[in-house]
Amino acid sequence: MDRTRILFFGIIFTALVIVTAVVLVTGGGGGRETAVGLIGSEKAPFFEDERVQEALQRNGLEVQVQKAGSREIATSFNLAEYDFAFPAGIPAARKIQQETGVSQTYTPFFTPMAIASWKPLADLLVAQGIATDMGGYYLLDMDQFLQLMAAETRWQDLPGNSVFPVSRSILLTTTDARTSNSAAMYLALASYVANEDNIVESLAEAQPIMPLMADLFLRQGLRPNSSQEPFEDYLIKGMGHSPIVLIYESQFIAQAAQNRAAILPEMVLMYPVPTIFTEHVLIPFSESGQKLGELLQTDPELRRLAIEYGLRNDDLTYFREFTGQQNIALPDSIVSVIEPPDYEVLEGMIQAIEQQYEP
Amino acid sequence: MTIRLRSWSSLLILLTAVLLLSNCSLANPANTMTVLAGSELRDIEPLLDEIEKETGIRLQLEYIGTLDGAEALLAGADFDLAWFSHARYLNLLEGGRGLIDTQEKTMLSPVVLGVKESKAHQFGWLDNPDVSWADIAAKASSGELRYAMTNPTASNSGFTALVGVAAALSDSNDALEAGKVNEEGLKEFFSGQALTAGSSGWLAESFVSSQADLDGMINYESVLLALNDSGQLDEELVLIYPQEGIITADYPLMLLNSDKREQYDELITFLRTPEFQKTLMTTTLRRPAVPGVALDSRIPDPLLVELPFPNTLEVIDALLFAYLDEQRIPAHAFFVLDVSGSMEGDGLRGLKDAMIGLTGVDQSLTGQFARFRGREKITILTFNETVQSIHQAEITDTDANSTTMAQIRDFVNGLEADGGTAIYSSLTEAYGMALAAQQTDPNRYYSIVLMSDGENTDGLNEGDFRHFYEGLAPEAQNIRTFTVLFGDADEASMAEIAELTGGRLFDSTTESLSLIFKQIRGYQ
Repeated sequence: MDRTRILFFGIIFTALVIVTAVVLVTGGGGGRETAVGLIGSEKAPFFEDERVQEALQRNGLEVQVQKAGSREIATSFNLAEYDFAFPAGIPAARKIQQETGVSQTYTPFFTPMAIASWKPLADLLVAQGIATDMGGYYLLDMDQFLQLMAAETRWQDLPGNSVFPVSRSILLTTTDARTSNSAAMYLALASYVANEDNIVESLAEAQPIMPLMADLFLRQGLRPNSSQEPFEDYLIKGMGHSPIVLIYESQFIAQAAQNRAAILPEMVLMYPVPTIFTEHVLIPFSESGQKLGELLQTDPELRRLAIEYGLRNDDLTYFREFTGQQNIALPDSIVSVIEPPDYEVLEGMIQAIEQQYEP
Repeated sequence: MTIRLRSWSSLLILLTAVLLLSNCSLANPANTMTVLAGSELRDIEPLLDEIEKETGIRLQLEYIGTLDGAEALLAGADFDLAWFSHARYLNLLEGGRGLIDTQEKTMLSPVVLGVKESKAHQFGWLDNPDVSWADIAAKASSGELRYAMTNPTASNSGFTALVGVAAALSDSNDALEAGKVNEEGLKEFFSGQALTAGSSGWLAESFVSSQADLDGMINYESVLLALNDSGQLDEELVLIYPQEGIITADYPLMLLNSDKREQYDELITFLRTPEFQKTLMTTTLRRPAVPGVALDSRIPDPLLVELPFPNTLEVIDALLFAYLDEQRIPAHAFFVLDVSGSMEGDGLRGLKDAMIGLTGVDQSLTGQFARFRGREKITILTFNETVQSIHQAEITDTDANSTTMAQIRDFVNGLEADGGTAIYSSLTEAYGMALAAQQTDPNRYYSIVLMSDGENTDGLNEGDFRHFYEGLAPEAQNIRTFTVLFGDADEASMAEIAELTGGRLFDSTTESLSLIFKQIRGYQ
């Protein structure tokens, strides 16, 4: 290579370095930090909302998210490449904390586990004395419903059922217990009910109920890894595909608020009694991750936007106001709420179920 | 490096270009995304321009069958995206899920049965929501319902149908478990499968040409609706949504190349806009995958009960093997193989590999299904200027080391290349044998593979063969010939034979005979 060419490449290289540096420093315009994170799929619409992005940008933060099953985050990704993880559920968060050794967490919002179903089916369950019509939403007696599922009752076996004469078993549709938080929450709930309304405190105590617990998942067949999918299936594939589906309450509220047309008049929200809360836990791996956690907890605008995505925080006034505006009937305080079992116990139960998938 | 810059202005232009490219991905000529796609997605092609116009992304689709696709991806095939009617099998395969960075549904189509209107009327199935898969199995078993369905190991519509029917016919109302399969019910059901195929598209085409002999077809709802719309059918197909349920394909678009996440996001966002979902539905007759898009008036709106999908690969593989070895109408496959002098060397070696691969030696994902299966009869007929040798076998033991398999290998290993090429005489002789076999054993699925690497030099000519074929009884004419183009074979003649007999031409001039033979197995 002759000297002239070296000189030219030298100039190009230097210029490129300057340009790159300018682009990096300005972040394409604005002096922002970028936080890249893995999130439970159910929070994707929140982060995709332009108002959320703008609120974050005003605070100097650019957030990019990638969806995953909450329980997959700890094991299926190289967490060193991310600034934060934001799974749904304390068990999934604990798993990530154990994997990374990060002790700091932020819990900016929570949502109760709920059930998406259809008015004809909800009324059918009311007629069986299993559900209660609360005028706009329903309560579902988990003890009786669990017995119905354990007995492998089919929809067509329900007395007086002319609305849904289907030979499929009555089974609450969930995600895959191995990868998703909402399924783990269901396990926490079902194990409490099956254990005669006691939180399972050890694997030994879980032993007698494990066959039923495993059945609740295995009998469903292949299930998606992440919570957005069952709710999306409910919305697009109808009652025959998704008669009764475990969801986060926030998913239903967000859908009603964002795209009311997608919620058909027969679509109804049910609350299991008891139910369980899913806390959304942010685990920061960098300063930008910490900054995001702070902002979600304290920024008034972000807190209000979270409510508009159906998430609850301690601002019950705005939650009532917003859901009222959206004409969504739901309980503003939920009385019967249980705690999940200890992390080790819940993990142990999930592992026991996981083994059942092996040949 | 050959870039030379003559002035600072050139440098500025270059820098401007660099800046533009870094800020505006649309201008990037590298904005092509390669897609490994199921063959039924060909109907997307008219929309590729619009997708490019709206997103700046050019999709470049390469088509492949179900298991072939899964196998290719596991072997590290380099594509940005995969787009199949579903990804359940891939997801269950060891290492399969890890390949998929993210996925979202793009459209929906259940796999259902289309029955000729007169048959539906005769069976009392018109506007009858109580028709079950069990009713369909009963009509198949009594011989009143002869239907077309693809081979479940080669094509997604057949695969989905098999999994669904197995779930519907089992006593359990939940996901299928090993040992709970209703084998007799499935055998009854598949006794009506009068036409098989390696692809849903070819099945639909062949249904049109053989519609007089068939009563119905199992395929995607979208394919059946499109056929009704096409004006090619003498009699409309009535769509049956059996009351036990169906399985719905939901066409996930899967990101494989995580470096292209931004383009993927842009693409999937556009594909899932209500406007484009409507366009997709109008063009393909598949249902929208987002809420709030009203259903096209051509698409029926019954209650679509979804059957559970098995949650382990073991259960699915057991279903596939039982279908091949126990439940389907057993095949009698004729292989008419050219061993003329020109096959000497690589050609003969490739042919031997291909045949020996089918005796259980090929342990690959596709190989394990494509190999000779239980109950199957095999006739291998080799020819040069006359028929050289014939080997017949009936597979009672599918083990690769069974005597029958070893004998096939011995026969194939002993082949030598020499002499001329009598294509039509040899094919006529194969038809004679198939005919005789069909008369004594009518409950088999007969087909012929014809492989040649040259032009016809001896014996009968094309006109003679046509005359012979057209004189055959209708059930004998149903024996299709799948022709394999190899070496310097005469493409026009081979295409003509496939067309005349309702078969299909396979081109092995660029792909190995092993690969082509495995594909043809989906049609036998």
